[in-house]
Amino acid sequence: MTETANRVVITGLGVVSSMGLGVDAFLAGLRAGRNTARPITAFDTTGFDHANGCEITGFAARDWIRTLNPDELGRASQFAVAAARMAIDDASLPVERLRGSRSLVTIGTTDGESRDLDSLVETEVGQGPQAMDPVVARRVPAGRLSAAVAREFGLTDTEAVTIPTACSAGNYAIGYGFDAVRGGEVDFALAGGADALCRKTFTGFYRLGTIAPERCQPFDADRKGILTGEGAGVLLLESERSALARGARIYAVVLGYGLSCDADHPVAPNQSSVARCMRLALDNSGVKPEEVDLISAHGTGTKANDVTEAGAIHQVFGDRPPRTVSLKSMIGHSMGAASALASIGCALAITEGFVPPTINHERTDPEIDLDCVPNTAIDADLTVVQNNGLAFGGNNAVTIFGKYPERAA
Amino acid sequence: MTTTHPVIAAWSAVSPLGMGRAAFTEGLRAGRTAAAPVDPGWDAPVEEACLVPGFDVKAVLGRKGTRSMDRVTGLAVTAVGQLLDGARGDERTALVLGTSTGSAQSIMDFTRDSLTGARPHLVDPARFPNTVMNCAAGQCAIWHGIQGPNVTLAAGRASGLLALRYALRLQRNDHAEAVLVGAVEEFSHARAWLEHRARTPAGLLGEGCAVLRLERRGDGPAEVLGVETAVYHEPAAVGPTVTGLVARALARAGVTADDVTLLSHSGMDGEADGARAALPGAETVPCAEVIGDTSAASAAFQVAAVLAAAENHPEPAPRTAVVTAVDHDGVAAAAVLRLRRPTT
Repeated sequence: MTETANRVVITGLGVVSSMGLGVDAFLAGLRAGRNTARPITAFDTTGFDHANGCEITGFAARDWIRTLNPDELGRASQFAVAAARMAIDDASLPVERLRGSRSLVTIGTTDGESRDLDSLVETEVGQGPQAMDPVVARRVPAGRLSAAVAREFGLTDTEAVTIPTACSAGNYAIGYGFDAVRGGEVDFALAGGADALCRKTFTGFYRLGTIAPERCQPFDADRKGILTGEGAGVLLLESERSALARGARIYAVVLGYGLSCDADHPVAPNQSSVARCMRLALDNSGVKPEEVDLISAHGTGTKANDVTEAGAIHQVFGDRPPRTVSLKSMIGHSMGAASALASIGCALAITEGFVPPTINHERTDPEIDLDCVPNTAIDADLTVVQNNGLAFGGNNAVTIFGKYPERAA
Repeated sequence: MTTTHPVIAAWSAVSPLGMGRAAFTEGLRAGRTAAAPVDPGWDAPVEEACLVPGFDVKAVLGRKGTRSMDRVTGLAVTAVGQLLDGARGDERTALVLGTSTGSAQSIMDFTRDSLTGARPHLVDPARFPNTVMNCAAGQCAIWHGIQGPNVTLAAGRASGLLALRYALRLQRNDHAEAVLVGAVEEFSHARAWLEHRARTPAGLLGEGCAVLRLERRGDGPAEVLGVETAVYHEPAAVGPTVTGLVARALARAGVTADDVTLLSHSGMDGEADGARAALPGAETVPCAEVIGDTSAASAAFQVAAVLAAAENHPEPAPRTAVVTAVDHDGVAAAAVLRLRRPTT
């Protein structure tokens, strides 16, 4: 088996987000700096003093899931399948062609189908465990997020693997897809992340005092925390050669990625380990720090995250770090989907030549000292964009994207 | 003989046969089932299961740092600790750990506390990290200083082989030097009930964690010649899928069916026939028959079982082994291992 180092390009984007369904709605929302926070309806929020989130409304699984029975999939799997279908369509890749090729399907997640586990607990509390619905019980295993995509599209010569590495999982999946395509081991990779709002995770963050009462304000001196969100982002990756041969539109190049683990604290990020992850990603991509035009931050809007992440950025980029924005200000924290949706945001920013804003911004925390492009998108020619993902377990993952084609030297 | 294939340098198993590699090897050789009556305290819908005997997180790992640790995390931290055998990880050591859904018990307990407490947010914050599926891998990193890539992955009963494939790719692309790779599953009230409701009746449930140390080269009981994967779409396709998968894995590894002396399969309907169709001469190595259905950990235990069987196999020494795993949800995988005779 010969190994060729392919250049890996993004040719399809699928988005299920609180901005709406599809890449066009997402792009419009990012350009407009749209705030999607609203009262949560996914579960009964009685007893919480505040419960805003970035929820998806108007998602009809049957519009997107045609082979499988949508009732046999949990909400996160439904999102993953829908986003994958959008990515395949967006890439103008015939499903028959995908079926006849070697592929990888890899979906990152934080909670998998914890929304279903929430409802099974309600059943158990009310009626006992023997009353738990078998259909719902079968939806629980996290591997199904990826397997469902492979099954929906009839893929057989494929590797379907879910990566539940929490809130950086989308970046892990994109990194895995990058390596598989780069090494010529697969022809196409469907890589991304998916999660559904659930009581369990909202409650946990609320208990930690990290849920903002109303809106998400990353890097702001008065930031009050995260808003939980949901959705899915899936990217179709293939080699440049393959994309050119079939005349596909190329959004951007995946230049590389890095992974590091803090091995320090279960929930609090470690600045030097986050910095190490960025350096690994830059090295893997063959990019120098001064070549990065924009950072899409993990930027959750909590005190701990934002200060630590900004510190790590200063550690790697010195006194003049690139503009650093947080998409979570607009779409909340969609957990395992977050870094996948942010990667899609990076690809769109490169293709469309703009920087999405950090909204809800009044005054930048002096301790952070970054240009977070407050409130209004700006036009910019971007050559290299970095996307940060941090997670519980100290699971850091950073991806780097580049403009296609590159400017002549 | 020179090779460029990665090497399984060492392995460990915390299993229903006991703590550690020797207990696993001896128990498999004896072939006695590890099934035992389930303590009524579990309130589980099964009378027998294969639990790691006497496994209690605080008893095994001590009280420090274990106040809120759940069972699946304790099993993983213990197995990885045994594999490292006193050594520490570093920035170039990765961990890749397969799971089904982390700890369903931890997730469901947390939601239950929110639903039944005086106020919905009156939950134990120290237990929140347990409800996220990468908790076990993250804690292994903390306990053992493993600062390289820390990866949790899920592919049902095939998780162990998908983890091995991930590890190979991680190493080949130079994201890590050594990779600790395995999979973990716990027994719990929640898992027993979920399995019981999903597929009545639940089979004989097992638990535990098996982990391998994958090095680029050097000494060790086996070389990994390759891992291939597929997805099947209906139960009747399991057999043909596995036959095709094994044939492809052998072809890519450059070995013939005649070379394969040991086979381990995961026991899905149709899988054994499919594997034997490709490998008519291979001897089947038992695993789940002895330790129960260890779900996400099953394929990692199968690899360990093959290594254990090869260790003291009568002459002629086994040369090559194939491990297959098939999950309910469509994922199938096959690994080809070249077995080495111990030099000691």
